[in-house]
Amino acid sequence: MAEALRSAARAPGRPSGARRPAPRPAAGGALPLSAPALVLLLLFVILPTLAVFGLSLTDYQLGDDALVFVGLDNYRDLLGDAGFRGSLRNTMVYAALVTPASVLIGLGLALLIEAETRGRALFRTLFFLPVVSLIVAMATVWQYLLHPTIGPVDQLLRLVGLPGPNWLGSSDTVLASLALIGVWQSVGYNMVLFLAGLTAIPRDLYAAAAVDGAASGWQRFRLVTWPMLGPTTLFVVTISIINAVKVFETVQTLTEGGPNRASEVLLFTIYREGFVYLRVGAASAMTVVFLLLLVGLMLLQYRIQDRRTHYA
Amino acid sequence: MSRIRNAAAALALAMAALCGPQARAETTLTVHYPMPGFFKAVMDTVAAKFMAENPDVKIAFATPSPTYEDGLQLILREAGTADLPDVSFVGLNRLRILSERNIVADLQPLIAQEGDMEKLGFTDHILSLARWGGRQAGLAFATSNPIMYMNADLVRKAGGDPDHPPKTWDEVIALGGRIKALGDGDAGIDFRWQGDDWMFSALLFGDGGTMLSPDEKTVTFDGPAGQAAFALVGRMVKEGGMPAFTKPAGEQAFVAGKVGLEFQTTGALRNTIDNVGRKFELRTAPIPLLDPKDGRLPTGGNAVVILTKDPAKRDAAWRFAKFAAGPYGASVVVPGTGYVPNNALAATSPQYLGDFYATHPLYRAGLDQMDRMIPWYSFPGANSVRVTQAIVDNLSRVVEGTATPDAAVKDTAAEVQKLLPRR
Repeated sequence: MAEALRSAARAPGRPSGARRPAPRPAAGGALPLSAPALVLLLLFVILPTLAVFGLSLTDYQLGDDALVFVGLDNYRDLLGDAGFRGSLRNTMVYAALVTPASVLIGLGLALLIEAETRGRALFRTLFFLPVVSLIVAMATVWQYLLHPTIGPVDQLLRLVGLPGPNWLGSSDTVLASLALIGVWQSVGYNMVLFLAGLTAIPRDLYAAAAVDGAASGWQRFRLVTWPMLGPTTLFVVTISIINAVKVFETVQTLTEGGPNRASEVLLFTIYREGFVYLRVGAASAMTVVFLLLLVGLMLLQYRIQDRRTHYA
Repeated sequence: MSRIRNAAAALALAMAALCGPQARAETTLTVHYPMPGFFKAVMDTVAAKFMAENPDVKIAFATPSPTYEDGLQLILREAGTADLPDVSFVGLNRLRILSERNIVADLQPLIAQEGDMEKLGFTDHILSLARWGGRQAGLAFATSNPIMYMNADLVRKAGGDPDHPPKTWDEVIALGGRIKALGDGDAGIDFRWQGDDWMFSALLFGDGGTMLSPDEKTVTFDGPAGQAAFALVGRMVKEGGMPAFTKPAGEQAFVAGKVGLEFQTTGALRNTIDNVGRKFELRTAPIPLLDPKDGRLPTGGNAVVILTKDPAKRDAAWRFAKFAAGPYGASVVVPGTGYVPNNALAATSPQYLGDFYATHPLYRAGLDQMDRMIPWYSFPGANSVRVTQAIVDNLSRVVEGTATPDAAVKDTAAEVQKLLPRR
């Protein structure tokens, strides 16, 4: 279609009378057309973000009628706040556990399902179920599974003579246990994204690779599948990191940041600071830091990965 | 959501007022309450009865909040806006924040107008549960104290006698240790130290200790009583067979029959009875006190507060508050939850709960401790909730064995001292 248009434009010797007026850049039309979206963006994204930044420079407390401008005091306090640093570290550990595991397992499942035609829809549905289930409700199920005395997991372990860990109750294992739930929850989503990426790879590339001597499955994967999945992988990794850094529901329902803050993650700390301790000013400062971190992380990742990603 | 519902209710009311045959002045009170799991049925019953007796007032419920903290946030967010409910029910330990910020009405003048509150069952002791520095912030609606829940089957198996429950903490710890020694993954004790400082204060007040000095400037819980309380938590773990449970894990393990002795609010009694069912024989008993003579217990629960500033509404709100916290309200709350009566009349009059306790012995443990109840201490200043969390965090270090009780109590005191207002 585009090719046809282009060749038509190049076609010489057309009668000048048939020529339509050249399309002018629609400068006047762009603004009114995008105005509704821009207004909404301004109202619901940009202004609230600016408001959060404004509040972060004050000592505002929820329910107070007065607020005082305190400059960068909130940010200075954050630097010395061991609790905030701990929660930053917990979030990073959590993301470092969940992101690679959920991306790799998601990819593995997608490859397995793609390779076999029987039961494809069934397995796709089964693995996707955790994504559509309500995480707060499922957290309760996990809480039961990982219960130190009545939980089936520890009872099974005891059956074979192993001491079951106190999954969510001990500060040594709580982050890993939450990460396990996080992986379970996000694998299905990543799998579906990879499946979509796999179907988009032209079959003839595999045929060409076979002609060139790529015989084993590993070679096919390394030479065709993996490079062709580049854009998908970039997207999946990005979204996985964002989701891991945003973990909140499981922490709130299962551990409330405990024991002794071992599972306090950034969003939970912000929530607690703002809505439980009522210190909105301090919570806003944390939110700004959180936002900057996220944006910085994404920029860095795009820089690194984008250069090596091959867009078909 | 609540805004839409309020708007719809207001619209419906406006229509009714316009079209109604008789234009009688009707006041609508928007009432908000927390923890619908505990209170929805209770609130519906109380409101229906109130409207039957006061036809000029209509009660409209705002969407309930899941916890006391959520309820507090809702009030703080909506304070000063048209969405603020007229009446709410606030956790007794969060009342002070609202009172210090001038969001709840001082009920003192209304009480003075009323004259004899005692006749309605509101003794001065009951009123004092919701009073901060001369201001009456509310009327206690549902009140509780901590009790001991027993799995009688496990107690018997470990050689104990459920008819003679342990009376001292030493006996509790010895029995707990024997229950754990039964093996099979059974735990001796589950003490609800997580969540907030309430159960810690039960140990502290039980030894005659206080959180702060009377002028509220210095931490005093690092004295002998507080040290004993922290040490006791340490012994529960080391000798009494208490695992490091999360809050829900502890509750589930108990109702599943895997914990011998559980210590938590009597307010959870109804739910515990329902969840245990016929799995084992459930018993309750008073909680032991480190100082059996002068020991006191904290009062949990909530109070009804008036938020509206409109004089006409305020009158109706006061009538509703008195009714809800009065003997009829208590006679609905107690059997429906396990809370203890917050009204002297309700507890004794056969018209209300006089006969209930004779037929429901499990509810007696809380009732028998009523004369020991003192207010749930609420820390002064902007950091009051943070203080609570500092205590919980340090207790968890003791439970996990990462700090000795002595070190933990010292750290807690230092942290809390820094969070107190510097005046």
